[in-house]
Amino acid sequence: MSFTAIAVDIILNSLVLGGVLLIVAIGLNIIYGLSRVMNLAHGSLYALGAYAGFTLVASGLNYFAALLVAPLLIAVVGLIIERVIIVPVRKRSIVYTLILTYGLMFFLDGLIKYFWGNEPRFIELPQFMRQTLPIAGTHYPVFRLVTLLTTAVAMIGLMLFLGKTKLGIILRAASSIPEMVSCMGINMTFVHAGAFALGCVLAGIAGVISGPLYTIDPIMGHEMLISSFVVIVIGGLGSLRGAVLAAFLIGLVQTLAEFFVTDLAMVIVYMMMALILAFMPRGLLGEGRFE
Amino acid sequence: MAEHEAEKILQIEDLHTYYGRSHIIQGLSMDVNRLEAVSILGRNGVGKTTTLRSILGLTPPRKGKIRINGEDTTRWPPHKVVRKGIGYVPAERHIFPGISVEENLKLAAKPSGEEEAWSMEKVYSHFPVLKTRNRQDGSTLSGGEQQMLAIGRALMGNPVIMLLDEPSQGLAPLLVYEVIQPILLFCLQSGLTLLLVEQNHRMALKVASRHYLMGIKGKVAQTATSDQLMADQDIIKQHLAV
Repeated sequence: MSFTAIAVDIILNSLVLGGVLLIVAIGLNIIYGLSRVMNLAHGSLYALGAYAGFTLVASGLNYFAALLVAPLLIAVVGLIIERVIIVPVRKRSIVYTLILTYGLMFFLDGLIKYFWGNEPRFIELPQFMRQTLPIAGTHYPVFRLVTLLTTAVAMIGLMLFLGKTKLGIILRAASSIPEMVSCMGINMTFVHAGAFALGCVLAGIAGVISGPLYTIDPIMGHEMLISSFVVIVIGGLGSLRGAVLAAFLIGLVQTLAEFFVTDLAMVIVYMMMALILAFMPRGLLGEGRFE
Repeated sequence: MAEHEAEKILQIEDLHTYYGRSHIIQGLSMDVNRLEAVSILGRNGVGKTTTLRSILGLTPPRKGKIRINGEDTTRWPPHKVVRKGIGYVPAERHIFPGISVEENLKLAAKPSGEEEAWSMEKVYSHFPVLKTRNRQDGSTLSGGEQQMLAIGRALMGNPVIMLLDEPSQGLAPLLVYEVIQPILLFCLQSGLTLLLVEQNHRMALKVASRHYLMGIKGKVAQTATSDQLMADQDIIKQHLAV
């Protein structure tokens, strides 16, 4: 392979990885930014999204239809979770939700093992997605390009939602001054629930698009949870722009590291995190808000 | 009874509010009549802001009763209290960062069918400077402009009573007398009721007709009309002078 082919391959791979990381991390970040809940079960919701996608496609649904339906199912699960375990401890310290969502993570993982078993699953892709596309001397898998496209569509959709719709503006306002939002007659209970559901939709989307990228197994969410933590910590807790920057930075570093020193890839990613935090303790863009 | 009660838009009886363990307001009673402007005057830290926060349900009182339009709203959540027709202008102004002037106003809009109702255009006609900055991030406005936006935003909800927490704080006197005071007087004439918290008694005397002079622990030391306060400067010295 020529040098350009390798470069294109690495760039595309890092964009794909960065995109998936970004969608999971932004979901986590939205929930944290609005409700100050660090949802440790977020990775498991992402896994649940992948399994939902798998089951929907296996029962005959089109892959793209599953990409729309699965995230909504995860949102419903999210709304139930929010009502049952987050709302009762809303006013208490963050430790309560940390412990409760940590327990929830094991509960969801157990549920997944119970219904789908331990063996890895694969989402059946439509014929055209199993092809490769010649780009600059490399043959790039079409499903990876579809993943990239889905990420872009999801991000643009999210930006338009937060930027242009009244609901989106309420979410942004509530992420900075929740008290004033309630003083304008808006019920913060719905805002919190909406933010949680939105975060779950994003986890669900990421789950379905990751299906073809990685194998679907009951613990797929754990590594993703840790990686998305790294993203939001490097980007700055609660900052959406920071998350975008951090996700693609990690995508690039991890892909490069995997190419050159496969076994040390994650070590290098964590070293980068440590270095960034040593010099910028509040992350690249500081603890932020939605913009 | 109903007729007499309905005259009172806000009634507070024996209010006790705490921040954690500190007992900030110890037995406050006061009321505000419809179409009236009332002020709470007092030094820093006597519990003026806490009074407003108690009314709004932001810091719910532990004891006592708050009635709005005759209905007991004690310990209601803020969004429900506000829907009774309250516009709140906090001391910090609380302009949402990253959100444009126009969006700040839009968020608060609660359209009303009435002809005199507040709309974006009406707010802009009173504060033309906001119109010229309508796309700008609200939190990058100057202090005076932010105050106008905070007042405009409260008006967009077409309230029946406005709670204003030190609207003149940190503003140049010129701005206070030429912009803030006129809009408050206009609101009053157009049928709004005002409850004003102030340390700046000069503006409060011109806008409000009745004053609660608050001493420490949120205790009303004295009530007075503007005429009484103007006639007897000693009262002001005693309660407000540093």
